[in-house]
Amino acid sequence: MSFSRRNFMIATGVVAASSTVLTACGGSGGGSSSGGDAPKVTGSKTMDIPVGTKADSTGPAPEVAGATKGGTIYSLEQFDMDHLDPAQIYVSTEGAITVPIMRGLTGYKIDEKGGVTLVGDAATDAGTSKDGGKTWSFTLKDGLKWEDGSAVTTDDVRHTFERLFASFITEGPRYVQQWLEGGEKYKGPYDGKSLSSVEVDGKTVTFRLNEPRGDFNYTLAMRGYALVPKKHDTKEKYDKRPFSCGPYKIASRSIGKSLTYTRNPHWDPKTDAIRNNYPDKYVFEFGFQPLAATDRYIADKGNDQYAVPIFNEVAAERIAQVLTNATLKKRVLTQVDTVTYYWPINTTRIKDVKVRQAINWAWPHQQLQTIRGGASTSEIATTILSPVTPGYEKFDLYGTTKKPGGDPAKAKALLKEAGKVGQKLVIAYQQSDNAVKQAVAIKNALEAAGFTVVNKQIDKSTFYTQIGKIDNGYDLFAAGWSPDWPNGYSVFYPCWSGENIGDGRSNYAQLDDTSVNKAINTAATITDSEKANKAWGAVDRQVMELAPVVPDYHSIRNWMYGSKVGNVVYDAGNTCVALCKVYVKK
Amino acid sequence: MTPPTPSAAAPLELTDESVEKSTTSPSPKGSESRSPGRLAWNRFKRDRTGVISACIVIFFFAIALAAPLIAKVYGKDPYTTYASQRPELLNAFAYPAGPNGGMSSEFWFGIEPQLGRDVFTFLLYGIRTSLGIALAATLLTTLLGVVVGVTAGYLGGKTDYLVGRFIDILLSFPSTLFFIAFMPVIYGLFVAPDDNIPTWLRAAALIIVLSAFGWASIARLLRGQVLGLREREFVEAAKVTGASPQRIVFKELLPNLWTPIIIQSTLMLPAFVTAEAGLAFLGVGIIDPTPDWGVMIQRGAQFYTEDFTFMLFPGLAMVIFVLAFNLLGDSVRDALDPKSKR
Repeated sequence: MSFSRRNFMIATGVVAASSTVLTACGGSGGGSSSGGDAPKVTGSKTMDIPVGTKADSTGPAPEVAGATKGGTIYSLEQFDMDHLDPAQIYVSTEGAITVPIMRGLTGYKIDEKGGVTLVGDAATDAGTSKDGGKTWSFTLKDGLKWEDGSAVTTDDVRHTFERLFASFITEGPRYVQQWLEGGEKYKGPYDGKSLSSVEVDGKTVTFRLNEPRGDFNYTLAMRGYALVPKKHDTKEKYDKRPFSCGPYKIASRSIGKSLTYTRNPHWDPKTDAIRNNYPDKYVFEFGFQPLAATDRYIADKGNDQYAVPIFNEVAAERIAQVLTNATLKKRVLTQVDTVTYYWPINTTRIKDVKVRQAINWAWPHQQLQTIRGGASTSEIATTILSPVTPGYEKFDLYGTTKKPGGDPAKAKALLKEAGKVGQKLVIAYQQSDNAVKQAVAIKNALEAAGFTVVNKQIDKSTFYTQIGKIDNGYDLFAAGWSPDWPNGYSVFYPCWSGENIGDGRSNYAQLDDTSVNKAINTAATITDSEKANKAWGAVDRQVMELAPVVPDYHSIRNWMYGSKVGNVVYDAGNTCVALCKVYVKK
Repeated sequence: MTPPTPSAAAPLELTDESVEKSTTSPSPKGSESRSPGRLAWNRFKRDRTGVISACIVIFFFAIALAAPLIAKVYGKDPYTTYASQRPELLNAFAYPAGPNGGMSSEFWFGIEPQLGRDVFTFLLYGIRTSLGIALAATLLTTLLGVVVGVTAGYLGGKTDYLVGRFIDILLSFPSTLFFIAFMPVIYGLFVAPDDNIPTWLRAAALIIVLSAFGWASIARLLRGQVLGLREREFVEAAKVTGASPQRIVFKELLPNLWTPIIIQSTLMLPAFVTAEAGLAFLGVGIIDPTPDWGVMIQRGAQFYTEDFTFMLFPGLAMVIFVLAFNLLGDSVRDALDPKSKR
């Protein structure tokens, strides 16, 4: 589940090269109480999200035991959100921070035990499909209102989907646009035309798709498909000030510095099975690096006592201090994530499979893990799918388990075979203290295997833009992906299908292999989930055989929070702290 | 900079003369055979703080120069990540597994967190890099500052006006922002985008950039001094006797300026060591894996709660060095110009 999406990493800053941040365990999810034993990714429960019933979708959301209303929740984050227009949101932080103000047709409901179900959010249930998944209908709940008190209508729903086709929508997920019938020719609603495959009948909206999509209702739970009011759609400007139909609305925003939510008086708890509304206010402040934020969480003074992180995890430099101190550890939420951080190899520049395999053989997994803060923050990866993503199949093609420090001899032999000893590799990573250290380790390991390595640090804010260019001039770069909803399709289609190569697209390795493309397309049409999972596991192996990527690690996140915040739990649907479940302790 | 050089000795005579002219008591020197330089040297030798500081400073320069030699005898180098072959050196959180930052008979100053490099050799090489860059930048800055300052002060008039305004502009310039914006451009000019930036280029660019922004303050100070000296009788006298401007600048003016120059540059050198570290921190200076003193301290500051040793050695070394260098600067000034003694 979880949607962490690509640019999760942007936020992390460091992404794969990473940084700093990640950790895990703690408080609620893993249940490891206080010992030094970190949770493991392997063996953790697969993040499976069942579809809930109509009763599950009916509000109000279950009360949190002991929670009281009132107070203000604060947050210290690295940087402000690039986008707040739902159609532009594909970064998990942006998705997470907008839970209190945006609602989609479906959404993820968190139960007391940390389990997650897909339920209807604005819709009365999680949707009904016909024709084997080619037609989907959703019925709107009664009593839904925008922040100005006007009702949420089916026209708004229709408009939400039609505007996805507008030319200014460039960043968000593109699944629905590809699937809706007639979508390829549609240019958006602003010239008065409407899309015939979105049908409105009374309170019901029906979508006609061009292929069977059994997981369409999961797709709609992405923040990218949250509702936008037709009357208040300000087009490009909507990105700065979206209109709320959730329990909170934007009270003020100072771009780059802070964002404040206050209560939305027109929201009716009976219409919402997902969100609680305990605090009076949320104040998000931006501009805090992980180390600075961690130190403030540790000090726990003033308003920081009421702070919860959206994305800032415990900094690598403080992991030891925080996780070995029982008092501090009590305030840490540790969670295994579905993300896999990896280093795509630019297959248009490194064409020889043997060279790419040599990189995999030589990779210093263990050393990189150590630099990131050790086993309590990450687990070494050998596959593209994370062990907690359905479809994961365990395999290790490049001897990582046996020699986690890399096997330079084997790599050198392969390189010799390919006749490419001394092959130059240009490595790109996001600038950070931790990433620089990792780059040193990578350089040493690859040079021991006979490569010539050039390290390039790239500014964090433009990193993904730069590596997303087709002609980017780099051979190997830090990236990562976690599934948009829990299955293999949302990993392999966006990142490894040759159909998704282009400027700004997420197939960073630019892999275009006919048999892989075919396997992805075949697996996508399998409706039986068990068989489909098997197929995705096979695709994983097939891609790894071509070695267009070095899987680096699966992440375990550790979020630290203030001592006066109650019920900090993980929202597996949005891969973040569940903002609508926290309360201020009196 | 310790003992006055022979060339400095002659000018000193002039200094004393000029001072004597303005003051009333021409104090007879103890023995006629002693030159002023000799006297200064004797005064310096009596100053225990100065001698100890000088020894420390010389020691630092010596170990910096001899770093490769020491590393060879010691049997480690600053580039090898020892923890990659021996993961047991680091604990589960990437901090040194042994007590005191992993100090042992094998790793004298312990090992670095995360990468597991040897702190002792890393520090030696770091000192070498930082001192080299700071020294070069200091020399270049002083040279530029002296030339521009003395010229402006001596020529006066329009030249002085133009140079003065230029210095004003330079001093009001946000130099750090300039470094961040232009260093990548400089690198881009000389290095293909898919090549490593060679360390010598980074060092050279740092030296040039630091000097380009550093000379203005020293130039302005010297210009003021020269303006005062220019009107003094001994300069007038030299002019009347038909001395060339070159002679006047080098033989009459410059000798009187040694004191501020030496003081300024001894203050500048430690400042450059820290400035260079700051730039590295911003990503435009020396970068890993090249060892650097300042970067080491910056990194140490992030780890100090868990691994104090890692910050202790480079930090202590830096404190001792900067303190010694400043004390030395004081002592040299006292020795050269005893009347200014507090």
